Amino acid sequence: MFSKILIANRGEIAVRIIRACKEMGVATVAVYSEADKDALHVALADQSYCIGGPEAADSYLNENQIISAAVLACAQAIHPGYGFLSENAHFARLCQKHGIVFIGPDPDSMERLSDKALLKELVKHTGLSVIPGTKAVSSPEAAKKAADHLGYPVMLKACAGGGGRGIRLIQSREEVEDAYLQATAEAVSAFGDGSVYIEKYIFPARHVELQILADEAGNVVCLGDRDCSLQRRNQKLLEETPSPAVSVKQRQNIIKDAIEATKQLGYVGAGTLEFLLDRDGRFWFMEMNVRLQVEHCVTEMLTGVDLVKWQIRIAAGISLSFAQEDIPLTGTAIECRINAGSCGTLEMLHVPGGPSVRFDTYLIEGTSVSPYYDSLLGKLIVYAKTREEALRKIRAALCELVIRGIPTNLEEQLRIVGDERFTSGSYDLTFMGNR
Amino acid sequence: MALIHFLKPKNKLEEGGRSAALVHQDEGEPEKNCPNCHKDIPLSRLWANHMVCACGYHFRMKARQRLHMIADKNSFHELYSDICSLDPLRFPGYQDKLETVRSVSNENEAVLCGTASIGRQHCCIFIMEPYFMMGSMGAAVGEKITALFEYAARQRMPVIGFTVSGGARMQEGLLSLMQMAKTSAAVKRHSDAGLLYIAVLTDPTTGGVTASFAMEADIILAEPEATVGFAGKRVIEQTTKKALPKGFQKAESVLEHGFIDEIVPRSSQKKLLAELLRIHGGTS
Repeated sequence: MFSKILIANRGEIAVRIIRACKEMGVATVAVYSEADKDALHVALADQSYCIGGPEAADSYLNENQIISAAVLACAQAIHPGYGFLSENAHFARLCQKHGIVFIGPDPDSMERLSDKALLKELVKHTGLSVIPGTKAVSSPEAAKKAADHLGYPVMLKACAGGGGRGIRLIQSREEVEDAYLQATAEAVSAFGDGSVYIEKYIFPARHVELQILADEAGNVVCLGDRDCSLQRRNQKLLEETPSPAVSVKQRQNIIKDAIEATKQLGYVGAGTLEFLLDRDGRFWFMEMNVRLQVEHCVTEMLTGVDLVKWQIRIAAGISLSFAQEDIPLTGTAIECRINAGSCGTLEMLHVPGGPSVRFDTYLIEGTSVSPYYDSLLGKLIVYAKTREEALRKIRAALCELVIRGIPTNLEEQLRIVGDERFTSGSYDLTFMGNR
Repeated sequence: MALIHFLKPKNKLEEGGRSAALVHQDEGEPEKNCPNCHKDIPLSRLWANHMVCACGYHFRMKARQRLHMIADKNSFHELYSDICSLDPLRFPGYQDKLETVRSVSNENEAVLCGTASIGRQHCCIFIMEPYFMMGSMGAAVGEKITALFEYAARQRMPVIGFTVSGGARMQEGLLSLMQMAKTSAAVKRHSDAGLLYIAVLTDPTTGGVTASFAMEADIILAEPEATVGFAGKRVIEQTTKKALPKGFQKAESVLEHGFIDEIVPRSSQKKLLAELLRIHGGTS
């Protein structure tokens, strides 16, 4: 096992990873920007290095600074968390070059799986259904031709996309040109790669994803599904597992297919297969995330499997100690993302407690929320034996959570969990509408 | 806003798996250059030969690798692994240095203690770790060695000790120096109980360790060419303003002056130690 790991991230996920390391007896190295010098992850780590200014490009995306810190601290591995450098094959290769283990898939498979259009081609041969679509389209004219062929409405998506950026819905032929130009410009600025592809728009649909763990020995285990249909402008707000829209039989089948597909792709590490679930109960493969997800905690609460620890163990070459039949998928876990509405300084924090209530956060009294990074303050997660009980628990926990000094979306979350469409489980991606 | 100071959990490192990145085959096997014959030796061959070059040069060896060479398979039972250095004087940079050497050496402290069998002869054993601040003796090293001798005295067991040290750990100041008296007292009590202590001095055994438990054994062995001394060669030269003879502070010269009983190459250490333990233990 690695005796020291550098965490190339900040916020709640850096705290989460450091906690896992502490339990495993692994020493931790934090890196931080000037804006984060008083952050909880810095205080919790055994060592810390300031790696640059507050802008992410100067610090958490500064590959050379992070590698230098790792070499200086003699860290044997780097955990990238999510976002920032977590899906950056160039960084993973740089780690390899310096004899440091990147906790995630190897750079080759990361490159192979990060091109969404190419990945769909690969997945087509594994037995999963893929949304009908094109490879990268090179011009607005080519886009029009492809969209005409597929039939409107269609989606235009960035090949290197993620986080809901570089995506446009096109209802008719007239909208293609504008959407193409906007999406490519957005993709260039967000991912440095302007290529886009077109696929059929599945509507109405739910966003359902499957959590996978795969080791070097070829063992693959699926830790169930997560329903992430509650989104605003493609940003997830609330997640639950298992999805109330998936029957036991459907789940068994899709898990079997996902395991087979992961084996055929030769993937190693923690990963997520994302699907759209249509009204007829068909799963349409969208993309694969080759990293830890923000919403991994609901899976942990449901299955009792610590995903961060297993990511680290897999990177150290340790084989999974459990099989598919050992994974309990009973009960319900729900997660509400608590986001900041604007900048501010935390004056008071009260965290709800009780059995199976978890709040993953980086907030401590005096923490300032700066404009440089995403607005996620923390994740409130509950687990209960039934969905009804989990709903009661999340409502009670949301009411007990107090964050004073920073405006949050707590009340909006309370409205969502009280909404009849949510409580009945019959919601889809249209839930938030234009709100 | 000041950073919160959290206590650190003392969780043992999870076992299993790799502790470093895989070496890719196209990079070729790493080699080490022998300072004696100047030849490059593939690491795998060096490891297989207990870190001894074909010319006879003894490279430094990690404590656990040495344990693997000396002790019977699966016989080692570690003791006092939870005792490790704090930073009592808040010496600048000491905490960071400790963190770094812990990760490089994969050890919590500069000495490994426990019980083991050598050629089926049960004994207490301590092995100092050169890759942990050159085996320097701080309060934790002193405490572990003292505790081991006390345990050996209670259990009426012999002690085998492999020493390698740059001396007292300067970052712990006087607390380091008092370990000399503390360990010596423990060795004396063990000796007064009529029990055997064999020291094997390895390169380098110097400073406060030489001036205490390294030279207090009933039988003192050493590895070929090991540096054994108190103050460094340059310090003596600068103080006395006299050139020192060739081979000064080498194990061979120390043997000649009667401070060492025998020089034993690594290849015959296990057999000799087992034999000595058998003779003095009264078992056949």
